[in-house]
Amino acid sequence: MRRLVFLVDMNAFYIACEMARNPKLKGRPAAVAGDPKNRSGIILSPNYDARKYGIKTTMLVHEAAKLCPDIVFVQPDHSYYNSMSRKVMNILSRYSPVIQQNSIDEAWLDLTGCEALFGKPVEIAEKIMSDIQNELDLWCSIGISENKFLAKMASEMKKPLGITELWRSDIKEKMWPLKVGDMYGVGRQTERKLNNLSIYTIGDLAKCHIGILIKEFGKYGEELHRLANGIDNSPVEENPHHDNRSISRSTTLPKDTIDMEYLKTILLELSEEVGLEARRQDYKGKTVYIIIKYSDFQTITRQKSVAPTYLTREIYETGVKLLRDNWNGTRPIRLIGIGIGGLEEDGMKQISLFDMAGDRSSIKKEEKLERALDTIKEKYGFDSIKRARLLK
Amino acid sequence: MWFTCDKDILQEAINNVQKAASTRTTYPILEGILIKAYNNRVIFTATDLDLGIETYIDADVHENGSIVVNSKLFGEFIRKLPNASVTVKMENNSVYITCQKSEFAMLGNNPDEFPQLPAINENSMYEISQDILRNMIRQTIFAIAQDETRPILTGVLFEVRDGKLSFVALDGYRLALKTCDIDSRNNISAVIPGKTLNEISKILQPTQDMVKITFTPNHILFNLGNTKIISRLLDGEFINYRQIIPDEYRLRAKVNVNELMSSIERASLLAREGRTNLIKFDIKNDGMVITSNSQMGTVYEEVSIELEGEGLRIAFNSKYFQDVLRIIDAEEVYLEFSTSVSPCIVKKCDSNDYIYLVLPVRLVENS
Repeated sequence: MRRLVFLVDMNAFYIACEMARNPKLKGRPAAVAGDPKNRSGIILSPNYDARKYGIKTTMLVHEAAKLCPDIVFVQPDHSYYNSMSRKVMNILSRYSPVIQQNSIDEAWLDLTGCEALFGKPVEIAEKIMSDIQNELDLWCSIGISENKFLAKMASEMKKPLGITELWRSDIKEKMWPLKVGDMYGVGRQTERKLNNLSIYTIGDLAKCHIGILIKEFGKYGEELHRLANGIDNSPVEENPHHDNRSISRSTTLPKDTIDMEYLKTILLELSEEVGLEARRQDYKGKTVYIIIKYSDFQTITRQKSVAPTYLTREIYETGVKLLRDNWNGTRPIRLIGIGIGGLEEDGMKQISLFDMAGDRSSIKKEEKLERALDTIKEKYGFDSIKRARLLK
Repeated sequence: MWFTCDKDILQEAINNVQKAASTRTTYPILEGILIKAYNNRVIFTATDLDLGIETYIDADVHENGSIVVNSKLFGEFIRKLPNASVTVKMENNSVYITCQKSEFAMLGNNPDEFPQLPAINENSMYEISQDILRNMIRQTIFAIAQDETRPILTGVLFEVRDGKLSFVALDGYRLALKTCDIDSRNNISAVIPGKTLNEISKILQPTQDMVKITFTPNHILFNLGNTKIISRLLDGEFINYRQIIPDEYRLRAKVNVNELMSSIERASLLAREGRTNLIKFDIKNDGMVITSNSQMGTVYEEVSIELEGEGLRIAFNSKYFQDVLRIIDAEEVYLEFSTSVSPCIVKKCDSNDYIYLVLPVRLVENS
């Protein structure tokens, strides 16, 4: 049976949320933007009135102000956007129990077999769109197709307030003329490599011999080829399987730095977030890795195998060791990140003699401690309790 | 080279040495068997450079000489011959095997290319009966590590201390320790590759015939009379196993081996489905309940026990229990436990010559 998959994408989500609670922003150029004083002072989400002036996401605040002196900047309020995002998901869940949230402002819905309940695909999409508009005063675009990839591609075709169908039978006409860079999952690097192979459009990619792609990209090449041909069998899953996934956090520093102590504090902050996420999902990582982007934008990642862990302390300590071993201490760092990979589910675990020989029993205690901290954070907020090093 | 002997005798000799011949190698001569005939004796040798086996038979030697033949082909042909006398004759570079109305000609290789087994001065440090050695191997070898992460654990520790010989194997999740008396004051500690012991145990017979054992710093030599087996030892220190085995327990259950084995076998039918082989024990005063479940269903088994101490809930990989219950030579065993996350010890009720230690699976409910 052909599946029916929607991708619901919220248009200009952050600023739309702001406009919903502050109608004065409506009808005039406005954008959610970071603090102009440091480097995160970039445009996060411009509204459509601002976009008319050529203002785009990631543009620097002062550049945007030059293009449009009347623009109103709003400081981001992530907890508010999170709560709005949950409300959107609640509306979506009226239509299908099978929802996979892809990011704060978009989600896939599997509506296979729901036509009998709600009508034709386009009619369902119109209902969802008007529910979101009426109840939350937010706009969205919806892509309709038979799999996740095509639904995502469809949702990008008409914005804002677009409803687009893109079935496999339409891809020759609607998707193949697009540039490969417009393909979901293809970033700048991949685009450049594809261009080097004389692949410029998605159609070029679809028609390319698969062997060439496998040679260049390995398994990912096979995947690209499949997607370009509109084939994507991945299911819409509430909690996608995280077999080989990783959990990581990174941050661009306000200023390039060579200050080890400062970097350690940042690593601890990031490790705390990684650890929290890992513990929440009950995953332990078998490797810890760090990402360093130098001031000249050269980026390296370095990793180390560890006994499976989700402890903030172990992630942090391994991260610091990796930084010490791989950084000369003089080359300015622009961005730093840390993560765990090779995730495995916690819970049932065959105990090994080598766990006992080492002092892994005290680890159990520490896991309980960190989980207790997590519970406090969950209840009273992320900043309600922190390590002394992170006190400001 | 030209000799005549009985098919049975020839076949047994080939079977024995064949175990050391390489099956797949970049050095084709190692896929062969070296046959050397002189003074009414025929010697067969095979080696993969780690393990070497040499055996001899008495035969009618009409002409001295030697050649290397492909082990698999030669062996299979001999096996398929009728029970009668066989003549093996070398002419030029070929070997002609004749038996009644069959004749088989195969190409041979130059015997000078065949690697020599390490020369070892036999001092026969230890002597042990074939039957006992066979049992020592059988009751420990299944617990060696199957992967190469810690190469030393792919072997079995051979340890002599104060007149006691111990074989120890462990893979990180369980440990098997078998002990017997040995008439020697020479202490030693060496690790023998699992593959070597596996092959030897196939050659050993359940008899009281003695095996003489010689060690060099890098090799071990087993002398079975007609057959000699030489193997490289594994490099490195074995794990200090003594400190792993607890000498105390909080509860002890006496249980019938057959009854426990049947229950676990039934329970593991379902455990197998769920990849983990997980079975749960609920030990109580009036008996032990074994349960297992998977998407396919659930199993509930009750086993009668005599319990000393308080009850316990604990979970295991069923394979680790089946392995030991299959080989232990006792009717009843003690299961000794402390907590749900510490090792369980399996011991014979009537003897101290065997200890098996198995680690449990930690469940979310008791973490």
